Amino acid sequence: MHEYSLAHALLEGLTEHLGQHPVHGRVRAVHVRKGELLILSEEALGEAWRILAEGTEVAGSELRVEKVPVKVRCPSCGYEGPVKYVSEEGWHFAVPLLACPQCQARAEVIEGRDLAIVGLSVDDAPLDHQAA
Amino acid sequence: MHDIRVGTEDVFKRQIELASRNYKLFQDHGVRAFNVMGAIGSGKTLLILRLAERLKEKGVRVGAIAGDVAGDDDFQRFTAGGLVAANLNTGDDCHLDAHRVGHALESFPFGDVDVLFIENVGNLVCPADFPLGTEGDLVVISVTEGDDMVRKHPKMFAQTDVLAVNKVDLASFVGVDPMALVDDYRRLNPHGKVVLTDAKSGRGVDELLAALGL
Repeated sequence: MHEYSLAHALLEGLTEHLGQHPVHGRVRAVHVRKGELLILSEEALGEAWRILAEGTEVAGSELRVEKVPVKVRCPSCGYEGPVKYVSEEGWHFAVPLLACPQCQARAEVIEGRDLAIVGLSVDDAPLDHQAA
Repeated sequence: MHDIRVGTEDVFKRQIELASRNYKLFQDHGVRAFNVMGAIGSGKTLLILRLAERLKEKGVRVGAIAGDVAGDDDFQRFTAGGLVAANLNTGDDCHLDAHRVGHALESFPFGDVDVLFIENVGNLVCPADFPLGTEGDLVVISVTEGDDMVRKHPKMFAQTDVLAVNKVDLASFVGVDPMALVDDYRRLNPHGKVVLTDAKSGRGVDELLAALGL
């Protein structure tokens, strides 16, 4: 629902990062981790990125989204790891059950809600060589 | 082409920090706060008023923040009901966030309340991604929205603490079986509590208070 503002926040973070750690080649892809609990359309996020990146140093780059599955920590039995899912015919995805898969107790979500850039795919040739 | 590892900050980190700040504020003032989310017109405001009536009988002082896109209708209802209230318009935004709530709390008379209900904007999608710093969530839906309301919004209901299925007095008129909503919720959220309510008559209000631990 908030793909434009989130794409903007990602772009701001990346611009700041590139200001401190410049890359010497065209950025072709930007790799993003997206927690699966976020109610966020990957398609809309990619489109927002394409539009917002225009005129910046990452113009033309593609946003590649890696969905990060939910991980929980169980306060009862100490389990830490992935959860079980529930799905049904007609649903287009499975929903994570926020309970411990071992002892079924209520579990704390430790992964699956974040959105951050984790990597870039960059051309080997420097930008000025490509232009020639 | 080569790949570079980059670690930018989680864009939700700021939201979580602000929510934590609100949480601490509630704790420091000994106020128990709840994020009341739900469908448009599901009866959130009246249910909060009913909860407040019952709590008042127990000597518990209740406050409310009325979150809406525009207007002060809910705020007026809270005030008329004797609640300490604040109005929080989002402009065009479809949900409350910790930042906005934090500002509303700056001038809130914490000394006058023991329990605070923060009524979110009517919406079953976006509020799930924006924690406010409350100790618990209550989601309100009503039978008049249809018996598929839970399954249509699985991520919202998978993360909720308590669900109120409201307007159950109208179930037979709209041909909806409230238990279909309850069953869907239990499948999606094994630890969630669910209560059937009819805010008009007050049915289920005591059970809802118990589910919220109040």
